Amino acid sequence: MFEKKKITSFDQNCSLEIFIKNSDKYKELEDDSRSVQNLITMGSCYSYVAASFKEKSLSINVKNFNRILFFDKEKKIITVEAGMKIFELLNFTLKHNLWIPQIPGHPFVSIGGAVASNVHGKSCAFYGTIKNSVKNIKLFHKYHGWLNLNSEENKDIFDLTIGGLGLTGTIISVTFILQELNGLNFLTTVKSVNSISQTVDFLESSDEKNLTYSWNTIDSNLDLNSFGKGLIFENKIDEKNNLNSYKKIKFINKKRIFPINLWNNITIKSFNYLFFIYHNYIRKNLYKDNFSNVVFPFYNKEIYFSLFGHKGFIESQILISKEKIHEFLEEFKRNIDIHKPSITIFSLKKISGKQKYLRFEDNKICLTFDMVSNKKNTHFLNEIYKLYIKYNVLPSIIKDSNLDKETFNRCYKEADIFREKLKKFDPKRLYRSELSDKLNI
Amino acid sequence: MKYIILGASSGLGRELAYSLAKKNNNLVIISRDERDLKAIKEDLEIQFKITVQSFELDLSSLEKIQNFFNSNPIIIDEIDGILMPIGMIIKDDKIINNFENTNSIIQANLGSVIYFVSKFYPAFVKKNKGTIVGFGSIAEMFGRDKNVVYSSAKRGLSSFFESLAISSLSTKLNIQFYIVGYMNTNLSYGKNILLAKGSAKELAKIVCNNFNNNYKKIYYPYWWIFINILFKITPFFLLRYLYKFIKKN
Repeated sequence: MFEKKKITSFDQNCSLEIFIKNSDKYKELEDDSRSVQNLITMGSCYSYVAASFKEKSLSINVKNFNRILFFDKEKKIITVEAGMKIFELLNFTLKHNLWIPQIPGHPFVSIGGAVASNVHGKSCAFYGTIKNSVKNIKLFHKYHGWLNLNSEENKDIFDLTIGGLGLTGTIISVTFILQELNGLNFLTTVKSVNSISQTVDFLESSDEKNLTYSWNTIDSNLDLNSFGKGLIFENKIDEKNNLNSYKKIKFINKKRIFPINLWNNITIKSFNYLFFIYHNYIRKNLYKDNFSNVVFPFYNKEIYFSLFGHKGFIESQILISKEKIHEFLEEFKRNIDIHKPSITIFSLKKISGKQKYLRFEDNKICLTFDMVSNKKNTHFLNEIYKLYIKYNVLPSIIKDSNLDKETFNRCYKEADIFREKLKKFDPKRLYRSELSDKLNI
Repeated sequence: MKYIILGASSGLGRELAYSLAKKNNNLVIISRDERDLKAIKEDLEIQFKITVQSFELDLSSLEKIQNFFNSNPIIIDEIDGILMPIGMIIKDDKIINNFENTNSIIQANLGSVIYFVSKFYPAFVKKNKGTIVGFGSIAEMFGRDKNVVYSSAKRGLSSFFESLAISSLSTKLNIQFYIVGYMNTNLSYGKNILLAKGSAKELAKIVCNNFNNNYKKIYYPYWWIFINILFKITPFFLLRYLYKFIKKN
């Protein structure tokens, strides 16, 4: 029996009535999957976009499949079920000074969701995306049955599944290669920068092993040399101060939303001003920080998202080459001067990897910005999409609900290859989400 | 301490397994699907460093239960308690039922519990120590036109636990019986229910906290006791008339 439920994407831009089932036995999962024509898998439903549901279709929620199936401390290998949350994995591995470095910003994301989205996190300059930590995947497909996927067995499907948005079937468990973590305490250095150009130069010269990212304010009508004044945060593991143990993260459902949007030009400017003053003048520019604060920047700060109200927010995250970023920023700024969007957060970091299929990775600069969801900002974003195509930018599929099929097709050079291979594996295209239908994947 | 949990692979059984593991108890877990058992066993052993024995067993067959005891090395004297959160329902459980279905439902919900208790009870009495926990259902309160055999078996179970409480009066055995309402498990998933569903996790905690108490019969969630009293004091002909009225409208 399935439950009828209204589900909303994390960015609040897509709300649909769906059928949902929380299976808790393998047999039940098999039977439920085979009982319908189309379905998709749901983890924590923390995707910004409608990646884990589709209108009037079945979402199999794997939250009850959240167990540790294998752990070898010596070989640094762990197998966990896909419904386990990132924080649950870390609560266990950190006791053994081990972790996977590619941790998404939100601790409640599920393991299956993280693999299906090929998440990266703050350490992506050095460690790349979660793909680099995945050794094996166990997948259930309603026609193909149970499949073991790794670099030797079902190699093609393994490749399609990581970052494949759950379209190859239900990820049941994932085996990770863990990395040693030399300390749970960090030293955070804060530096101020006068512009985004200066930020890019700094990121280029920074030590990739540190977790480095920027926070920039976006004001219109400034010249390019002073556009994007902000701060650069550099988190470095404090190996000398390894005394404090990891404070376990507990699950708190904080998906509460304010009835109205409280982010506007006045509140954004005031917040940014206070944030800048606090970090630049009041707080020391070198301070001790703990693991949760560094790795999960939004943990316990969920109010940031709540303040967007029921209309939600739009986030665009893109990868752009170092060679083209200055030229891109010039045109980006010109559009900001014209459209004056309400940008709440603007941030840059470095990322490494090799782009393939739908995976959001490359040796590029990763630029992220959030906006209030309204007509003006959507119009601005549609103009910016033209720049994405012009400058060969890669926009993240899982962050932007607004991303259209044309921009996606032109930015993802391997989209058709992915479609073709997926169709070959699953000719009836059984696993579909609202997102995959929209982008015709 | 070492406990047996029947139906440990999902719902309340799974929550009981985790509650007991958190208190460093070793476990014997029994369920129908080997894959689910294996996953729970691995997780419990890795996370809590306890010993878990797992056995695949279909509790709806008395013959299989007998064979299980004949061929598996459970040392009865080592067991400190048995917890039996089993509930099996089938889709078309009405007045007219075939033999297999009737037999399966009665065995799974009643027969298996009686058999397990009869196996362990003598050892518990001998030690003058031991916990026996059973789980009834609010379905036993009133006859019905669906889940007919299930509700009959659960009413039988209620009677069996009363007998157990009477029989063990002169012992220090811990007998607990819970009449369980709608829970947030897959048995009531997707059903439109007016009353709030109880939490399996919460009930598992209550069960573990009652391990050293005298005989307990507890309604969970608690408001079902008031509904039960209403059913008990209302004449059956009136309930029947009311049922007819509700069905019509």
